[in-house]
Amino acid sequence: MVNLTIDGRAIQAKPGSTILEVAKENGIFIPYLCYHPALKPIGSCRICVVDVKPGPPRPIPACATYITEGMEVVTDTPKLAALRQELMKLVLINHALECPICDKGGECELQDLTHALSVSTVDLDAVKLPPNPDYVSRMVERHPDRCVTCGRCVKICRDRVGAMAINFTLRGYFTELASGAQPLDCEFCGSCIDICPVGALINKQFKYRARAWEGAKTEMACSFCGGGCTYQAHTKNGRILRVVNEDSVLLCGRGRFGWPVVEADDRLKTPLIRDNGKFREASWDEALDLVAAKFKETMEAGGAKAVYGVGSPRATNEANYIFQKFFREGLATNQLDNPGRYNYVRAIKAMAEVFGTPKVEGVEAGGALVPAYNSPLVVKEGGQGSGFPFVLGKLADLSKADLVLVVGTDVTPELPPLGWKLMEAKENANFRLVLANLRKTKFDRYADLSLRYKPGSERVLIAGLIKFILAENPDWTPAIQATGLDELKESLKKLTTKEITTKTGVEDAALKEAAALLAQAQAPAIVFGAELLSQDKGQQTALALADLFLLVGKPDSPGSAMYPVAEKNNSRGVSEVGVLPDMGPGYVPVEGSDPGPTLEEVLDLLEKDDPASPKALYLLGGDLLRWLPNRSRVKKLLKKVPFIVVQDAFLTDTAQLAQVILPVAVHAEQEGTFISSTGQLGLLNQALPTNGVRPDWQIISQLGVKLGFALKYVNPKEIFRELARKMPLWAGLAPKLSAPCPAIKAAVTGKFAPFEADISLPGRRPYTLIIGKSLQHSGSFTTHHPGGPMSVTGKALLTVNPEDARSLGLAAGEVVKVISSHGEITVPVDLSAEVPAGVVFLPEHFAAPAANDLTLNSNLMRVTIQKG
Amino acid sequence: MIIPLLKGLATTLKMALSKPITLQYPEEKREVSPRWRGHPELTIDADGTRRCVACTLCLEVCPSNAITGIEAGEADDHGKYPVAFTIDLQRCIFCGFCQEACPKGAIKLNNLYELAQYDKKLLVLDIERATQSKPQLRLGDWL
Repeated sequence: MVNLTIDGRAIQAKPGSTILEVAKENGIFIPYLCYHPALKPIGSCRICVVDVKPGPPRPIPACATYITEGMEVVTDTPKLAALRQELMKLVLINHALECPICDKGGECELQDLTHALSVSTVDLDAVKLPPNPDYVSRMVERHPDRCVTCGRCVKICRDRVGAMAINFTLRGYFTELASGAQPLDCEFCGSCIDICPVGALINKQFKYRARAWEGAKTEMACSFCGGGCTYQAHTKNGRILRVVNEDSVLLCGRGRFGWPVVEADDRLKTPLIRDNGKFREASWDEALDLVAAKFKETMEAGGAKAVYGVGSPRATNEANYIFQKFFREGLATNQLDNPGRYNYVRAIKAMAEVFGTPKVEGVEAGGALVPAYNSPLVVKEGGQGSGFPFVLGKLADLSKADLVLVVGTDVTPELPPLGWKLMEAKENANFRLVLANLRKTKFDRYADLSLRYKPGSERVLIAGLIKFILAENPDWTPAIQATGLDELKESLKKLTTKEITTKTGVEDAALKEAAALLAQAQAPAIVFGAELLSQDKGQQTALALADLFLLVGKPDSPGSAMYPVAEKNNSRGVSEVGVLPDMGPGYVPVEGSDPGPTLEEVLDLLEKDDPASPKALYLLGGDLLRWLPNRSRVKKLLKKVPFIVVQDAFLTDTAQLAQVILPVAVHAEQEGTFISSTGQLGLLNQALPTNGVRPDWQIISQLGVKLGFALKYVNPKEIFRELARKMPLWAGLAPKLSAPCPAIKAAVTGKFAPFEADISLPGRRPYTLIIGKSLQHSGSFTTHHPGGPMSVTGKALLTVNPEDARSLGLAAGEVVKVISSHGEITVPVDLSAEVPAGVVFLPEHFAAPAANDLTLNSNLMRVTIQKG
Repeated sequence: MIIPLLKGLATTLKMALSKPITLQYPEEKREVSPRWRGHPELTIDADGTRRCVACTLCLEVCPSNAITGIEAGEADDHGKYPVAFTIDLQRCIFCGFCQEACPKGAIKLNNLYELAQYDKKLLVLDIERATQSKPQLRLGDWL
């Protein structure tokens, strides 16, 4: 601790803090304008100047001066007050006094500061600058005449978001915020809006809708990707005005601007029942009675196994938990799965194969009353756990890693918070970022090493890395207690260096360098996402990565972990609470009954018209037709099912095939919890009325009660209490904390599992198509409202390398026909050198063209491209 | 005995010939002081547009919640203007805080005092009824 005095008060503070931070902690007021806790000190406004002894004979900025032993700080003298007043006058000299119409009015730091420093008049004259407002840019409105040139927006864009989209132009008094004399063309995350101390950057969605102080604030977890960010939704008269992250300011475009989906015109408002091929509106009682009667009928005819359920990675833990209880305890079957089967579940399976299924010991029920949404279990002294959840990383730790290997993943579109953590990690001098991707992504500009491999060769690349690490270090022993290394070596023996370099297209020098970096790293982390897992051999790739982590990982050092991306808000939760055919809540293998078929197996059963194929489907959201590969096959097979119930907020393609549709509440309309991709418990609070729709848990509970199951619950809190009691993995968990609890001692062991180091990309068509994620969208959830993300990325564009476009004679915007072995689509093209020649990219989010018209079993395939 | 009677008659005569101090209300209306506080209304410019920019400061300062429901819209020139504005004269206490808080001189207490109505609903003014019909200034100490 460092001893210093501020205004004569003796204070002890953490070394490495600045004077301003220490003063704030101790309740000593130092005015400031450009400082923000989410950023590194900027020091541009100079309003926080203080006198420091020992120090230079002039005032110095408190925000950028670090404390030293014996420092004497004086924060308030007549001279300092005069200086600050004068500085404020200089800031205000050209400030547009538009407070009555400025959306920042009321939460403006400049307003507050003007009052705090008692500046009543500005007795300075200067040339009046033209206002130059920018009304053209999407999502953000810029008013340079309100700007105080503090530099916060430039810093957050460059250092935290990593987009580098805005900067200052001109100098001195004429300094202006600019984006290259063009309208903004950036990630449209809007973080600059909320970090701006004044109204120079305005949220267009919020513009003029209310004054800053009018909104009622409700804190909730974001419902788009698996990032698990928390924000405050400001609401007025039953509508959301805006969402703000008051802690770190950072949100991505879909989180900040995607909320209008709640108000989308195509939201379902009443239950629908199919009558003579057409849907008619029905009352809740009628619809639920019909479903209950049909389920009973189906069970009488074909047994309890004739009903199959698909959980939802968008629904809350509570809804998914009672959904699996509906099947496991109500119907006494394991006939259920979740759509993560095609991506995230593959990662779980692979990691479970290498690190084992979770086992937690030394956890007991705490005696005292626990607050709502807190786990009732506490970790005893000496509690320990093993299995793959203990190698899954936590978000806050990623910035402590000294090496991050990102494989086949465009980090920011898949999970923006991981991108922000990588930007944070980059500030450490010894941090290294190794990027392996077949196309160029945002983080290439920050990577220490980029490995550009050929499509589909990820497993060969990882095998190469493993081989090179072992070749350079013959006596290598993994930090994790591991078995089976010899078998793995044996299985990779046939793969020669030449084969690796020709198959991957990566030079062996680069591979060796990556291998050396991985071998040296004290805290290596591995990030991989749905783009990789959605390939037909995604599970094999995950297995390869798990082997690599077992080889080089050091789970005892913070940050050294695996970060598989759980694509949707609750992709991880839906699996953890047991919506899996073979595992119950907490990944406990089912006992006493046979595991049910997986979603993939159910489709096969339907194809074979097997007597064991389901006669009724209960789909909890999840537009299977849109998201499962080989759309025409899925459509044909779903049509074979006599009775389908869909619980969804929209009339999706799958819902069109249903007999009964039950409309559900979406994010701000319901209460519940999510588990983020990195294990954090996110709490959802209700901020809006439901207007006739019902939350998922309520529908499942009511349906269960009608069928005579013990599923009566009063509220989601009660469900969470019951659920959390069954989850030793969640011991000590509370909102904003991450599972597993750090008090549980991780005893990780692993067994190397051989994997198929091959390339699975059949066919002879000339181009390779990747179907992946676009920056602005999350599933199809964000595509239902024309505002927000749709106004930035409104339609699917096929990204083609300019060289390919030249050889095909294509210009940007021209419509092409993409033909695969399974179908064809037409789509306009966008030219970008981000994809290598021979590779094209298509975002998956849009209804038209339906990307899965082309797929067979993988998001990577060979296609032909024809003009027109 | 007669003298006091004559004195009284003289006073009566004097008063009969002088200007009356009462008004023949409601045929005659009282001229009010320039500082009179009638009910608040939205003032308009010479070109007939409201001066209000929907900043809601009047709503915030109103001690009796007489001003409610201010909704803003965006004009073609990106300016801000009110699309909804409610003044509830049943709640108004004629304190004039709104006039004092307004940064644009857009809300003023006028010189009207005949506010009684048979129907309470008529006392709730929507944006149209709360707006001046003519840009003329009804008060001497305008702005």
